Amino acid sequence: MELMGIIKGRRAVRKFADKEIPRENLVKILEAAIWAPSGSNTQSWEFILVTEKENIEKIKLISPGLFGNPKALVIVCINTERAKKGGREGIEMAKMDIAMASQNMMLMAHSLSIGSCPIVSFNKVALKELLDIPDSIDPKLILIFGYPEKWPRAPGRRPLKEVVHIEKFGEHIEE
Amino acid sequence: MKNSENILKNKHFQLLSFLLTSARGCVDEPQIYGPLRLLDAASRVIELMEEEKKITPELLTLKEKINRCIDVLMYDEDEFVKMLDDISKDLGRIIKDNNK
Repeated sequence: MELMGIIKGRRAVRKFADKEIPRENLVKILEAAIWAPSGSNTQSWEFILVTEKENIEKIKLISPGLFGNPKALVIVCINTERAKKGGREGIEMAKMDIAMASQNMMLMAHSLSIGSCPIVSFNKVALKELLDIPDSIDPKLILIFGYPEKWPRAPGRRPLKEVVHIEKFGEHIEE
Repeated sequence: MKNSENILKNKHFQLLSFLLTSARGCVDEPQIYGPLRLLDAASRVIELMEEEKKITPELLTLKEKINRCIDVLMYDEDEFVKMLDDISKDLGRIIKDNNK
């Protein structure tokens, strides 16, 4: 699949088939994450992979936004100690870095015909307690993965001519 | 309830957990997530009624509508509100018909 096809084809998938994701594919997805850019190359990220059904069910209990039946979760965290190396803007940069790492994971997943969805609606305090996450590690996002039961239709996009400005703000691109 | 493992599988506990974490989540999340969480909870209540054999065909239909409504929110907020009104109307009809 060519890159634009992967980018445009990715969807937020929540309903998955009852089919396990091979370990090697999960490793590929995680490898895609660590090759994302990061501010000052701090790589202020940590990723917690969860595949045991029992553990996924426990995390669902404290995550109102996590419904459906994913086969794997990746909890994307900021390592706040490492992020300090980025100075005052370290945490802000780390947020952007984990966003780019997350997109890498979702695109790699889609290239392997695996669906994904980023979830922000989870109870951080309860999750840290449940997974023994230390104070210095800040879970920001849960990515869910599985083989889609069906690919959802694409939501609309704000057009290029609305969101792109040429040379200065307000001068729009001609499509 | 003999041990904590059992309680995790208990649908009432699952609903309780959902409601508590949703309450915290709604403080920071987009306003529209409030109705979304309530709809999700409503669907779970109907599932509980189903398991406890306290269900009616009308409520099963209502659950299907609720679940469709949740899906629609991701794509079309106006349609979501229309569907909420439709669900409210159905609920009114169920109450009225059961009062005869």
